[in-house]
Amino acid sequence: MTPRVAVLSGFGINCETETMAVFEMSGAHADRVHVNRLVNGDLDLSDYQILAIPGGFSFGDHLGSGRLMGNRLRFGLRDQVRGFVREGKPVIGICNGFQVLVKMGLLPGDEEVSLTQTASLALNDSGHYENRWATLEFDSKSPCIWTAGLERIRVPVRHGEGKFVTDDPTLMDKWAESGQLVARYVDPSNEYPSASDNILPYPISPNQSWRNVAGVCDPTGLVFGLMPHPEANHSTWLGATWTREDNEHGQGEGMAIFHNAVSHVMDA
Amino acid sequence: MSSDEHVRIFEVTTKDLEGLPDSRGENVRSMLKTDHGIKVDSVRVIMGYQVRSTISDAQAETLTYDLFADPVIEVATTGSRILDDFSDPPEMAIQIGFKPGVTDNSAQAGLDGLTTLFPEQKEARVATFRTYAFWGVQGTVSPSELATTLHNPMIERASVADRNGCSKGHWPELGFPDVPPNIFKEPTTIDLEVSDDELLEISERGLLALNLEEMKAIQGHYRDPAVRAERTEQGLQSDRPTDAELECLAQTWSEHCSHKIFAAKIRHVDKATDEDTTINSLFKTHIMQPTLDIQKEVDWLLSIFHDNSGVISWNDEWSVCIKAETHNSPSALDPFGGAITGIVGVNRDILGTGLGARPIANTDVFCFGPPDYSGTIPPGLFHPSRVFRGVHSGVRSGGNESGIPTVNGAIVFDERYIGKPLVFCGTVGIMPRTLADGRESHVKTPKPGDVVYMVGGRVGSDGIHGATFSSLELTEESPSSAVQIGDPITQKKMLDMILEARDEGLIQVITDNGAGGLSSSVGEMAELTGGAKLDLGQVPLKQAGLSSWEILVSESQERMTVGVRPDDCEKFETLAGLHEVEATPVGEFTDSGAFVVHHGQTPVAHLPIHFLFDGCPQLNLDSEWSPPTHLPVETPELDEEGMGKLLARLLARPNVASKEWWVRSYDHEVIAQSVIKPFCGTNHDAPGDAAVIAPIQGGTQGLVISNGIAPRYSDIDSYAMAAASVDEALRNAVCVGVDLDLIAGLDNFCWPDPIESSKTPDGRYKLAQLVRANRALDDVCRAYRLPCISGKDSMKNDAMMGGEKISVPPTLLFSLLGNHEDVRKAVSSDFKKPGDAIFLVGETHQELGASELAFMLRDEGSGGIGGAVPEIEPERNMTVYRALTSSMKSGLVSSAHDCSDGGLAVALAECCFGADSGASIDISPLQSDCSDLDDWGALFGESLGRILVSVRPSDKEAFEESMEGVCCHYLGLVSEGDAISVSRDGEKVLLGSMSEMRDSWKDTLHGGGP
Repeated sequence: MTPRVAVLSGFGINCETETMAVFEMSGAHADRVHVNRLVNGDLDLSDYQILAIPGGFSFGDHLGSGRLMGNRLRFGLRDQVRGFVREGKPVIGICNGFQVLVKMGLLPGDEEVSLTQTASLALNDSGHYENRWATLEFDSKSPCIWTAGLERIRVPVRHGEGKFVTDDPTLMDKWAESGQLVARYVDPSNEYPSASDNILPYPISPNQSWRNVAGVCDPTGLVFGLMPHPEANHSTWLGATWTREDNEHGQGEGMAIFHNAVSHVMDA
Repeated sequence: MSSDEHVRIFEVTTKDLEGLPDSRGENVRSMLKTDHGIKVDSVRVIMGYQVRSTISDAQAETLTYDLFADPVIEVATTGSRILDDFSDPPEMAIQIGFKPGVTDNSAQAGLDGLTTLFPEQKEARVATFRTYAFWGVQGTVSPSELATTLHNPMIERASVADRNGCSKGHWPELGFPDVPPNIFKEPTTIDLEVSDDELLEISERGLLALNLEEMKAIQGHYRDPAVRAERTEQGLQSDRPTDAELECLAQTWSEHCSHKIFAAKIRHVDKATDEDTTINSLFKTHIMQPTLDIQKEVDWLLSIFHDNSGVISWNDEWSVCIKAETHNSPSALDPFGGAITGIVGVNRDILGTGLGARPIANTDVFCFGPPDYSGTIPPGLFHPSRVFRGVHSGVRSGGNESGIPTVNGAIVFDERYIGKPLVFCGTVGIMPRTLADGRESHVKTPKPGDVVYMVGGRVGSDGIHGATFSSLELTEESPSSAVQIGDPITQKKMLDMILEARDEGLIQVITDNGAGGLSSSVGEMAELTGGAKLDLGQVPLKQAGLSSWEILVSESQERMTVGVRPDDCEKFETLAGLHEVEATPVGEFTDSGAFVVHHGQTPVAHLPIHFLFDGCPQLNLDSEWSPPTHLPVETPELDEEGMGKLLARLLARPNVASKEWWVRSYDHEVIAQSVIKPFCGTNHDAPGDAAVIAPIQGGTQGLVISNGIAPRYSDIDSYAMAAASVDEALRNAVCVGVDLDLIAGLDNFCWPDPIESSKTPDGRYKLAQLVRANRALDDVCRAYRLPCISGKDSMKNDAMMGGEKISVPPTLLFSLLGNHEDVRKAVSSDFKKPGDAIFLVGETHQELGASELAFMLRDEGSGGIGGAVPEIEPERNMTVYRALTSSMKSGLVSSAHDCSDGGLAVALAECCFGADSGASIDISPLQSDCSDLDDWGALFGESLGRILVSVRPSDKEAFEESMEGVCCHYLGLVSEGDAISVSRDGEKVLLGSMSEMRDSWKDTLHGGGP
């Protein structure tokens, strides 16, 4: 069976083309699904095996990134989204999509899928939007199915609000314990593994996220969101320094994440 | 108005959490210090929302944390002031909000969010404001001075509380920005049977920007008995225009829309050569003709000059298009609004090309006054640093929020841009060659009977007279109604919807509503079928009461005009509904030969298509060239370390310095296609030349996008300026390995008014500069087989402020779009490894006139800028470029970087920055190019056609073989360590530290903060 991926679009989402492309390159079939087609019943989320909320500027990031789109999903698609997650189907939110998942309470989330917001993505300490490349390291003990077996990848960050924080610091320990703080910024000049809780200097940590968190998953490891853009490194010629490297050309470092989810569905 | 309607205020600020700064406040603090030299200990920003609605207290409670504030990181109040909650009250507080009627995108989003939660609140209205609280303000700065740094009175209001007010808790407070109701004015008519002076007065009073001859042409039209008979039949006053007709003619005939100067008959006299010739249209002679001649030789020029952008075939499946626009006057009045409107506006040109193309890349080129300018700024103008920040911010928002990467650009500084900044916004688009229904996508297919839809935003009183206003010089009286703020999200929704409609075959014709509004968009498309009728009564309005002519010419943003077959209307409207985009039928295409406008039952305009588009009389202008004189360049006596320090100073000049701090905040990688990015090198901070994108994900065929701009040379000869611009664009493209058999160009002229008059006594000289620039464009484009497929001109870039006239230097931006056969073979500008061999490709001559070095030495107090400007030998350059790109295809080239501002020395340093390396070169071989070449000319001269290349030691021989027959000098090696060292004939002439040079290169334009 070829997994079907619903890639959300509309209202300022703008990375749907490349997000669809990476799922297709991973062997899945991807549809561009306007949010309103799910709301009005044209399409049914339960017909899909994977849900992706791509990056973009939904509603222009006004009133906080991801908030208005999060509300559309939380209020307009509540049952469909909860049903999808409770059925154990993988969900990914990238950049603005991650902000949406956090603002609607699906990430870091809870067992009940209660859709209660417990963390947030604040304005970068630099105070502005930036596009630059970063190195991510993944927690090998995390239940996250998207990052299983991955050590490090290089990816661009492109955001103004990516500083992962919470108002209850004890939650950070809990999430760390459960392997939910799965993706972190690291200094590429250090040996693997080197993820640390001490905030790394700018711009190694581009946003001064708490504990250098770049992405988190829910307790099941099926719902995953991250600020950087793995889909933007789908081919070797898109790397930041590929002209300095003597690698053979082919799929880029970001692709493993999408292959993981597609294999997870195919193996199920 | 409902009786329980009330205004409720919500305020939001960052929660006090350890490890969570108020970054918005920190941004303001840093901006005040960097741009204004004002020191403040701390700033807090409070976001405010005024909501006029009928919501209950309980609903308001829900809104506080479900909509306006983030419960985890923010605190919010409704009904009380956050300013009261600080334990240490602020010393000063300032509240800023928009003026009534100005586009407020956050408020629009807030309203959308409000109706998501409470769908019954459709009539609610939202406005936003920001409150700034200051602590530890430097002694003498007053709150009103602070306020001027934080708002633009043309579009915003400010309320301030000083120390005294703050101590008593008298906080600033703005009321809800209610728009005063418009009073509908019945259409009127204008009697043109008046004296010539009165005709001109009618034009001036109405901001029509029409000259006497044009007014008389209009007068003549209404004297034609046939016209009068037709008008009587239509129910219009027969012998005079309506206000709407006169406005429509003024828009269509404006310099902005009809390019009268480029279409003029010019008598050109050259005092140096005794030439005395007549040129019948610069555009037809020097831009269109070369392209038409090239079109005979190639099969890939699909659509040139007549559409919103030029279209070329990229491969059998896809065609690509490119367009650049300027938005100079609006950016002078409101840098943010002008720039964001500029970028989203040019995106619509792409969307309006053929049957609709998808924008996939933006380019931004700006010309500003020096950011560190310390002279006085004439009243009515902003300091260049503020213009810079505002324009940058507008383009960043416009591009990023639209999901279109900014892949290439440039920023040029010169004091004369203080009068009018130049803001060039360009966009590249892509579309399938053919649609599912078999139609070629670059051909519009309207038929009489097709329904005219207005899609996207609504029409308001904003943006009236943009086209005619930009055809006049800037004065203190320039109208604020010409300023708008773009709304990228409304446009993004429209773009998504339009492209779906295109793919479903629902679009027969499409164009954007830019300058001139509906009068231009429907008028232009009416030319295709031979007529159109329009009912202004159907047009959705932002506020009631707009007069007929205002609806017709308003340039309110985010609108497209689309022609749809009657059978497809239902599908089209359903699609619009799904995307929450407004699409309203407002008229019909006809073949009646006229553009006919009604407002409900009332006839408003009846304009024959031929008169509207061909009735404007040709201008007759005089041009006279005599070469200007300048003091010659004076170079100092310096030892090698002195030369190293001089190079560091040159690298710190704003024109050369790193723009990284600014460019980083543009998304340059969305769509996941950016192969050669704005930055390269081991630390991702070395400057790229051209952009390379691979727009089909996974595909390896690419597009190359580059720009050339060299206004400095206009001070000596605009021929050299234009030649250098075209060569720079191509040279940059060659550096990444462009396919020289598929390159197309775009010319954007920005000139000071070149028509001689009492206000412009030197008009003949400025026109001669235009003639010379056009001749260069013609000569060089033919030699490079580089057809211009679209272009634009902006001819009134002067400001008259306080009796002082400031004219921009004549400027040509040349943009290039080319093919890349295999992006895996693309080359970046950074040196790769110590030991690699360095070559200079192309000839070097003693050409220091108007160079960046000449300007620096003059600014430092010695000599002038006079001397030889770079002369172009396009055939010779093309041979070099062909050899080099072919060598790249064979994989023999490790890096390539073009020599432009600052010449070889600057290029060498920049290549080292990307490798964390030094370099050691010997410039002796360059003397074989030119017998009178000195060290200054060799190192800092800006001769065209030159590229600095590095190759692996193992490829050195093969590379040299591949360059046989073209000028290619081996200069030396990339080296370990930090030293950049240059020698000639065994003698050291320049020595310096790469990292020190890099620091000074990075420091100048750092925008503050991290």
